[in-house]
Amino acid sequence: MNAISSSKKSTLNSNLLLRWSWREIYSAQLWPVVAALVLIVACVVALSALAMRVEKVITAEGRSMLAADVVQTSSYPINPLIIDKADQLALQQSAQVSFQTMGFSDTSMHLISVKAVDSFYPLRGELRLKTKQETLSQHVLPGELWVAKRVLGLLDVEVGQTLAVGDAELVISGIIEADPELVFNPFNSIPAVFIHESDIEKTGALQIGSRVEYKRFFNGADNKLDDLQNSVELQPGEKWLSEKNQGNSGGFINKAKQYLSLTILMVIAMASLTLVLTCSHYASGRAQTIAMLKSLGASRVWLKRWLMIQVAILLAIGLVVGSLLGIVIEALLRLPLTDVLPKELPSYGFLPFLMGASVAILVAIPALGIPLKKLLDTPAINVLQQTKSKTKAAWWLILFPLSAFIYYYFDASMVWLVLVGLIVLFTLLALVSYACILLVSRFKWGPAMSLAISRLKRSPKQSLMQLAALSGSLMLIAVIWLLRSDLVGDWQKAVPENAPNVFAVNINPTELPGYLTHFDQRKIERSEAFPVIRGRLSHINGTDVYRAEQYKANPANILKREVNFTWLETLPSYNQVLDGQWGQSQGVSVEQKVARQLGLTIGDKLTFTVNSLQVTAAVNSIRDVHWQSMKPNFIFIFTPDVLQNLPATWMLSARVSEQDNDLLNQLSRDFPTISLIDFRVLGNKLQSMLAQVSLSLTVLASIAVLSGILLMFTLLRLSLKQRQSEVMLYRTLGATKKRISQTLWAEYGLLAIIAGFVATVGAELLVYSLMQWGFKLTPSLHVEMWLVLPIIALLIVLGSLRSLFKQLLTPL
Amino acid sequence: MSEPILKVKSLSKSITAHGNTLSILSDISLQVCKAETVAIIGTSGAGKSTLMTLLAGLDVPTSGEIELLGQPLSQLDDEARAQLRGESIGFVFQSFLLIPSLNAIENVTLPTVLRGEGEDQVKAKALLASVGLAGRELHLPTQLSGGEQQRVALARAFMSEPKILFADEPTGNLDKKTAKNIIELLFAMNRDNGTTLILVTHDEQLAARCSRILRIDDGKLVEEIITAKASSVL
Repeated sequence: MNAISSSKKSTLNSNLLLRWSWREIYSAQLWPVVAALVLIVACVVALSALAMRVEKVITAEGRSMLAADVVQTSSYPINPLIIDKADQLALQQSAQVSFQTMGFSDTSMHLISVKAVDSFYPLRGELRLKTKQETLSQHVLPGELWVAKRVLGLLDVEVGQTLAVGDAELVISGIIEADPELVFNPFNSIPAVFIHESDIEKTGALQIGSRVEYKRFFNGADNKLDDLQNSVELQPGEKWLSEKNQGNSGGFINKAKQYLSLTILMVIAMASLTLVLTCSHYASGRAQTIAMLKSLGASRVWLKRWLMIQVAILLAIGLVVGSLLGIVIEALLRLPLTDVLPKELPSYGFLPFLMGASVAILVAIPALGIPLKKLLDTPAINVLQQTKSKTKAAWWLILFPLSAFIYYYFDASMVWLVLVGLIVLFTLLALVSYACILLVSRFKWGPAMSLAISRLKRSPKQSLMQLAALSGSLMLIAVIWLLRSDLVGDWQKAVPENAPNVFAVNINPTELPGYLTHFDQRKIERSEAFPVIRGRLSHINGTDVYRAEQYKANPANILKREVNFTWLETLPSYNQVLDGQWGQSQGVSVEQKVARQLGLTIGDKLTFTVNSLQVTAAVNSIRDVHWQSMKPNFIFIFTPDVLQNLPATWMLSARVSEQDNDLLNQLSRDFPTISLIDFRVLGNKLQSMLAQVSLSLTVLASIAVLSGILLMFTLLRLSLKQRQSEVMLYRTLGATKKRISQTLWAEYGLLAIIAGFVATVGAELLVYSLMQWGFKLTPSLHVEMWLVLPIIALLIVLGSLRSLFKQLLTPL
Repeated sequence: MSEPILKVKSLSKSITAHGNTLSILSDISLQVCKAETVAIIGTSGAGKSTLMTLLAGLDVPTSGEIELLGQPLSQLDDEARAQLRGESIGFVFQSFLLIPSLNAIENVTLPTVLRGEGEDQVKAKALLASVGLAGRELHLPTQLSGGEQQRVALARAFMSEPKILFADEPTGNLDKKTAKNIIELLFAMNRDNGTTLILVTHDEQLAARCSRILRIDDGKLVEEIITAKASSVL
């Protein structure tokens, strides 16, 4: 009987507790806490789900350009141990041998690049081979010969006719429409053909000493591929290729991914701050209730239970609503990416939800824990007398999210850069802002402004906190937006919409004027013509780079091969000079990465071997070159006097549209020795991908900015609510509505302008550091922001406080 | 005279602020017997509220001994003192201190809920009726007037059938007429329940309704007056 009644009592007890907790939340005291939790969960869920999907798509994209998940390349036949190991792991495999040989038709001959593949090639990506009857095939079969369209013009043959590839006589099966391994290299003027690997021997091209590249393609589960790559030690000349180290779109996609994770971090930081603010506001408002409950005999255990039920309800609402909202946001973020993402999207599974919940709980531990622990420690005497709690705040609770953060981001230098930057900046921002207030207070002002300033000076701790939070969140918003603009701007600069899409190389000087006329008559946008001379770098300041230990030990790529030189009167406008100055004579301008690799500085004397002649020039400038811009670019650009007397061929680039196809055909016919290379497919693909990624970054940045505004909105409204009794007192003492309203506007207006100004300085510093050291791009100043940010700050203050000001003044 | 349920010996309280020690109460000794009504009076800042917080075990003295219901408070920790309050002490505060998100009957049942017992709705309802709030059980504090809120607070105070009731300026926030009604009710309920009442006030008229008046001035017990009402408890 006793047991029954006690269990009934406890149920009743729990019922009241649940009801009460729900009402505490419902009576609007805890809604901001719920909103902050929802925001954290939703952002983490949405952004991590999207990141996972985009990552999968990017990986697939990268792999399709490699024609497999992982590729082993070697100058020798592939190590049989690797093949055995792949067999053991049951990986899908395919093989390719590529070499150059002569192609002969009945009337002419030309050097061709032969890719001999097995019937499984490619394992990923698209190989599109088209016969004369327009039928498509995706694999090469024994006896077949597929050629690049240019081969037909160069060798004056047609599909169906016989072409000798080295010694092998093969009938041309059709043309290559798409080759997964196609890359941007305008100087690679040797046209490609595909044959089956079983026909290699017939060509007789593989002799001792011939330059051959062997590739083995592998597909399979990631862990098996890792196993394979770790199973054998690489020999000289062997290399593993994967989407991580390959792909010409990798650069900007990686930056987009970095931006994505940085934005997630900033949104979490802002939402956590909202959580801390709202929760400590709640805690300070509940101190007397706790004291009263203690005076009525509430035990610590009971109070803990009471608070825990509220926290549990909050978390449950936050997690459920946040997860649902996260799904919606992910779908919204995905809208601009529709064309980039495949129709059938890979599922993101449970992981984003798990991450959202973990982040929210980890952040909530200190954000809710510290103020609630302090609340729990409120002495019972506070029911009658205000005393300060003697217990120390439980700062150690911060260790929970901090250790998880360290574990997760241990080697992400960019994240640490941001974190340290944020902490230093927040402190500095608060101090500088306060210094601004002190400065402003030195001037003579009207009564409203004087009252406002004295109010801010009277409670320095509170003002400092408010300024740090306000300028901090403004700064984060500005950083997110500016980074987006800078990244997108940089990409657009790198691959502008009018980027050239065809290259003509190997133009004889005598053919040049006539060739250019064809373009100019049709008013086709083209670059100037560049002279091209091939050569090698042989000495740096008199040191032989092939013998000196410092270069032998770690040979830069540039030392291993011949490169293309050009000479010009002035440097191309799209190359930014980073150091030095372009000169008139005996000078060479060097691309910055190569200059760094070789340790070159202005004034270094470089000697080059060109056509067995030696030429010397001094480094006069170091340039930044965007290789992805698809414009003609050179590592070394000489002043005319150095090279202009040597024989050269010429090259140019142009932007042609679909209507100009007939011109391209005519040019191929009229100038058979000039290689005209068409990059339209590759260029369009890169550009559309870029446009779409830029658009989704904009959507992402907008969401981040919205969450920042929510933070400021909460912050300002909370701070004003705390002023309610003060306002009532002013009114009781006879202050007019107008005077109070003016004082409040002066105070918050001053706060907004100072915060806006300080945030601008902070944002410039942070964006500069991130561009310079994080994204490794050229930083720039953002003058317009110096005006816009303080105005935005004012507007946010106006927007969030207008209604509340009225509400504060109305009942009186 | 019945057994004392509150014994205070040489009680002192001082606080240290900015390196200076400020004495709030010094050398106070007194005893309160069961069912006695005691008023602690004095001017603002005299130390009467501090004395009440010490007697009720809400705070600890700097020196001296308090024995409440046979238990020496100095030997009890926070939790044990809370338990003692929950079982045997009731409070009525100047600012009512009702929970805004709980309705009248839920506020009244709070003491039993805090003790881990269920909500005794029948008893709470009866108590609300006895303070004249029958039919107002489901009203939230914001839907009640100041006087009504103090009635709910009275009902809450008697819910746990306390042995001692501490009332801190219970009419301080009320108009004269309402205050009078509340005081009538407080004394009536106190009498009916046989509770010991310790009332802190600066209102001499109100104090005169108690059986004994203790006047505190500058932290010291300066006067003890046995009133005409004393005969009823002696």
